Amino acid sequence: MNQIKNIRQMEQKLQRADRRQSRLYLFCNFMALMIISAYSALMLSPTVQRVFPEGGDSRKQMYMIFVMTLVGCVIFTIYALGLFFRHKAGQLGILMALGASRRRLAPGLFREVIVLSGISAVVGTIAGFPFVWMIWQIFRLILVDSSDMVLSFDFRCLFISLLFLLLVVGFACLTAWRYLKKTNIMEVIREEHINEPVKELGRWCGPVGLLLILAGAVLGYGAPVACDAWFFISVPEWVSILYAPVFVGLYMVMLHTVVYGWKSHKKNPYKNIISRSMMKFQGKQTVNNLLVITLLIAGGCFAIFYLPTNSISALLRYASQSYDYFYQYQADQAVPDRETVEALGKDYGLTFRDWNECEYITLGIGGLSKIYEEDDVRYHVEYVPMQGETRVLSEDAYRILTGQEVDVKPGTYLNITNQEESALYTNEAAREFTNMVTRKQIATTFAGYLHYDLLAKEIPCCILDNEDYAGISEGLTDEWRGQFVEFNVDGKDSYPFANAFYHLFVSSFDENCARPFYYDRVQKIRENEAGMEYWVDTDDMVTISYEFPDSFMFRQFWVYQPDFRILSQNDYLRNVAVLFMMFLFVFIVCMITALVVCYTRCQSIALNNRYIFDDLKKLGASPAFLDKEVRIQCSNVFKVPSLVGMFAMFFLFTMILYANDGRILKAEWAAMGVCLCIIALIGGVIYAVYRSTVKVIKGQLGV
Amino acid sequence: MLYVKELYKSYEAGKNKYEVLKGVDFHVAQGEFVAVMGPSGSGKTTLLNCISCYIPFDKGNIKLGGMELAGMNEDDLAKVRNTKIGFVFQDFMLLDGLTIRENILVPRIVQGEVEAEAEKLADQLAAMFGISHILNKYPAEISGGEKQRAAVARSLINNPLIILADEPTGNLDSKSSRAVIETFNNAKEQMNATIFMVTHDSFAASFCDRVILLKDGTIYRQLEKWENRSVFHEQLLDAMKEH
Repeated sequence: MNQIKNIRQMEQKLQRADRRQSRLYLFCNFMALMIISAYSALMLSPTVQRVFPEGGDSRKQMYMIFVMTLVGCVIFTIYALGLFFRHKAGQLGILMALGASRRRLAPGLFREVIVLSGISAVVGTIAGFPFVWMIWQIFRLILVDSSDMVLSFDFRCLFISLLFLLLVVGFACLTAWRYLKKTNIMEVIREEHINEPVKELGRWCGPVGLLLILAGAVLGYGAPVACDAWFFISVPEWVSILYAPVFVGLYMVMLHTVVYGWKSHKKNPYKNIISRSMMKFQGKQTVNNLLVITLLIAGGCFAIFYLPTNSISALLRYASQSYDYFYQYQADQAVPDRETVEALGKDYGLTFRDWNECEYITLGIGGLSKIYEEDDVRYHVEYVPMQGETRVLSEDAYRILTGQEVDVKPGTYLNITNQEESALYTNEAAREFTNMVTRKQIATTFAGYLHYDLLAKEIPCCILDNEDYAGISEGLTDEWRGQFVEFNVDGKDSYPFANAFYHLFVSSFDENCARPFYYDRVQKIRENEAGMEYWVDTDDMVTISYEFPDSFMFRQFWVYQPDFRILSQNDYLRNVAVLFMMFLFVFIVCMITALVVCYTRCQSIALNNRYIFDDLKKLGASPAFLDKEVRIQCSNVFKVPSLVGMFAMFFLFTMILYANDGRILKAEWAAMGVCLCIIALIGGVIYAVYRSTVKVIKGQLGV
Repeated sequence: MLYVKELYKSYEAGKNKYEVLKGVDFHVAQGEFVAVMGPSGSGKTTLLNCISCYIPFDKGNIKLGGMELAGMNEDDLAKVRNTKIGFVFQDFMLLDGLTIRENILVPRIVQGEVEAEAEKLADQLAAMFGISHILNKYPAEISGGEKQRAAVARSLINNPLIILADEPTGNLDSKSSRAVIETFNNAKEQMNATIFMVTHDSFAASFCDRVILLKDGTIYRQLEKWENRSVFHEQLLDAMKEH
């Protein structure tokens, strides 16, 4: 056996002996850096940046979840570092007690800390890239592949990783320095056994916490709506602080979990008293950890719930589409006519039936607008003539298209909405329609709704009396006229035909039509005439380019995007792939982080309480009793944050769906059902990890 | 050898301040085996930790081998701990990753290179305390009594002026306790070691030359052993009953 001759050799031997502790720290650091590096690489990747509209909600959500993950990872690494040092402190303390000066111990300690943190952080940062690339390729291989999904990196993301890396190494050195600076050696020696009891608030804190969560959610979500509806105030973003009770409530719920648990044992108050006390005496760290785990699980659920809530309504809408093919175009565009389409259909062995087409015109329509005061917060609602554009059909045209007989009284108009009357873009306030070429106007009043899903789109659609229509359309140029076309396939439809027709259709448009659906020509004219610049002209949120007719951007935002059922159904996943993959990735990252925090928390419970378990064994505790004690502790770490995180997010989504239009639609019920299934699946995974964690901890405690 | 004069130490917990040592005065002569006894919270361990320079004290003087400890800088205090004091703790404080031989040599390793003379001394101490057979084992592989004897051997490896022992028998059964106390006696007799021990155990204290009784941070009595050990033990028990 080689005899140790000096302090360097002793440190090396001690480090070898501490491999298990070091491995845990290395693993946590590596994971945190890999997750940050992978997330930032993906988030800043040109592939993702192209798909998430600048300033859009989805991009904000992506950044928000990134910040949440970042905070989670910071807490996670600090916690892992704390665990590592708590163990290391025992050694340091003994060496100090035996006369090793801080100056003598410092080089070895800093060397160890820098090597461990540095290596794990650098390797984690680098590993983030192949990790994200591998996941992305698996997505492409298993789920969907599209030209949108060629993953490219913007290596500016390395700055974020580098910053985090420096933070990790810096914090590790700071912690080492803090331990070395301690003047009370006994404190250093006893560090491993220091308890952090949590302040008990009383049994009311759990239920009050739940109420606060509910109140915060309702207040945070409802206050802006109420301000808008009652006080005509558009609330600034800082009003989000009203969500604060949610976090206070979460803390109280976790505190209650740690101190009292959720089962009352009135008949047997001593039941679980040991496991409860063990948790209580590590209370501060445990409560903090449970909070982080809850937030991570909630973040993961937020990301994964996004998928069904967004996809199910789209897929149901495609399935219930009344015609296989529906499209529209501006009259000045050389779009393939019926003969050309039928000839193309023949090439694919298709014949068509129910061919309907009719003319529509685009007019300026008056409506109510929010007019903001100088402070940009308060506003009043005012009627604005030529507020925006609307598509207008005559009674005859509507009958041709839908087969529905309709009688519109002269001087009135009917709005078109969908069957569930959930269409957002309808206008009940118009007093006149304006011909944008001659500026002729007709006075109108709203007279009710008609239902036709294919016309209930982002641009409002109205029906006028035949004579009113003829009068107002006089003098309109082709730029303001258009055609609706719909038909069915006789027999089984063909995706290759739909695809070929789609590309032919897109290629027939000129640059004047390369605009997103929210580009309102009437509003532009009105603002330009008032000497203002139209905001979309200076905004590059969405760029429509005919070069990429299959891109997510194009299909999502092009104003003349057709509804070809088979194309929409088959390409749905491909169109939203990047968006979905990003959310799926966020989900994976949040869940992995949450599970690793759960695992390490259980590890620290084992580390801190191993003496208690030894004592319990000496006192004759049966293996079954010890087994139960371990399971209770671990299950508290896994169970409560998982349940709270998952169901809080489920509740939030339900609230959002309800708040959209004051009810929950059929597709939304279905989406919520899928969300519940996802919760069950996540629960299963968490349970499996819990079981294996219990097994590992029992092994470590010799139970 | 060891002079403690007017030693004060207090702790702050929140807004409250607790005076633990309130002007403690005593001295220990070369080759003397002294115990400090007293009820829980009387300040025994705090007294030991102040003498060990593990925790700073508020007021007073501690002189060890003619050196004044108050006002020494960190490096000098470390040197004192390493060369002038040997430590024995209640929970042994052996490094789990090192063998018993390496643990015994730790104070020497901390000084610099370990020379053959130190290794020879480690073997001699091990033989003296009956732990030669476990020198290549790790702490996890030996009994509590063996660990504590190894800790005593470690405390003597630098030939210190004094051995400070904090409840050295606290974690041991009676047989192991006796073996450890005999180890101290061996050290005293064969190496003229000075031992200052804090203990709850009147039986262990009865092996000492003198016992200092502490209560509420002050020394209320000192008993010297004039008779045989069992008589001294009775005296100790009576003195403790009185208070």
